[in-house]
Amino acid sequence: MSTPAGSELTYTDTKPQGSPDFYYAVNATFRFMLNRLGRAAWISYLGELGRGYFAPVNERWRTGGMPAVAGYWRAFFAAEPGARVKIEEAPDQIVLNVQECPAIKHLRAGGRELVKEYCQHCYFLGSARAEAAGMTMRLEGGNGCCRHIYRSAEVKLPAQDLGQIKEARS
Amino acid sequence: MIGCYDFCGHYEWTFGWLERAGGHDLVREYWNEAINHDSQRHARDLIRNEGIPGMLKYWGHTLLEESPDLGFNITHRAEVFRIDFHACPSRGFLLRNGLNNYRDYCDHCMGWTGPMLQEAGYVIDHEHNHQGQCWWEMRPATAQGGHAAPGSVAGDKDVRLRPDWPDDFSKLDRYEKANDPDDKTTISPT
Repeated sequence: MSTPAGSELTYTDTKPQGSPDFYYAVNATFRFMLNRLGRAAWISYLGELGRGYFAPVNERWRTGGMPAVAGYWRAFFAAEPGARVKIEEAPDQIVLNVQECPAIKHLRAGGRELVKEYCQHCYFLGSARAEAAGMTMRLEGGNGCCRHIYRSAEVKLPAQDLGQIKEARS
Repeated sequence: MIGCYDFCGHYEWTFGWLERAGGHDLVREYWNEAINHDSQRHARDLIRNEGIPGMLKYWGHTLLEESPDLGFNITHRAEVFRIDFHACPSRGFLLRNGLNNYRDYCDHCMGWTGPMLQEAGYVIDHEHNHQGQCWWEMRPATAQGGHAAPGSVAGDKDVRLRPDWPDDFSKLDRYEKANDPDDKTTISPT
């Protein structure tokens, strides 16, 4: 199976990168849930997705620590077409510097109306996954360019200020 | 971040979550509203405006992106558009990775393409075996007749000619001139 650093990704495919039109479906899924079920349900969905679907990855993070987190995200973004990301590694912290978000880029290129909460999904999903792995996650920026910070739970971080996450704009 | 590389995995997981949150009707509404009318509106516009040539443009492009190893075959004539999936990239991803959070992932295709084609004036004949093989024939809603005989449209590319196409017909889901994901039967051996 030819995947980019496939062993770092729990779920692997036979092709090296995904099809970016699937970002349309992610954006549409968020719009549907927010309109039909409300914000609380959408947040609940992301938390359950993070603890459920991603459970095998979370377990690798829990046992592998920060190197496992860095390795996962390196492989993840290699498989997302159009991503430009730099990863800073330290023993107790990983920072993902997303210079160009592949999803926001493709949604804009396709003329899609972005759900304004789009960038918050990375926090609600990422923090659920981090917590399951015994870590904390915070997010800064958004709207195409952002920073994801992962630390071990022993290192206290200020509570996430959702105001620090920018609205996504088309 | 939710990615596109493993899209089929979290997409399938989402069906199960929606069903638990709002029942089967919510899943159906999701396929129609979020996928047909929002995510895949480019497909909808192409097919409503151009008919079968629009189907060729949409599926010709999207299947090449999703399945660059050509696990599918497209046949088209003036009155019918047919796809044979010998290795569905989407179902194959789930099978290879052991993912199963919804009772029949394959229903999602009829769930969004059924209403989309109905709006464009087409009906669908279709069978799937849940193992990554299926076939689709799309014709104008006024067309006569049922399923075409194996090989009569796609020749030797017809998925029903595969040696591993089920002999146990109860393993097939079958649609005739349909647009509704629930309008299916499993068929009995003849």
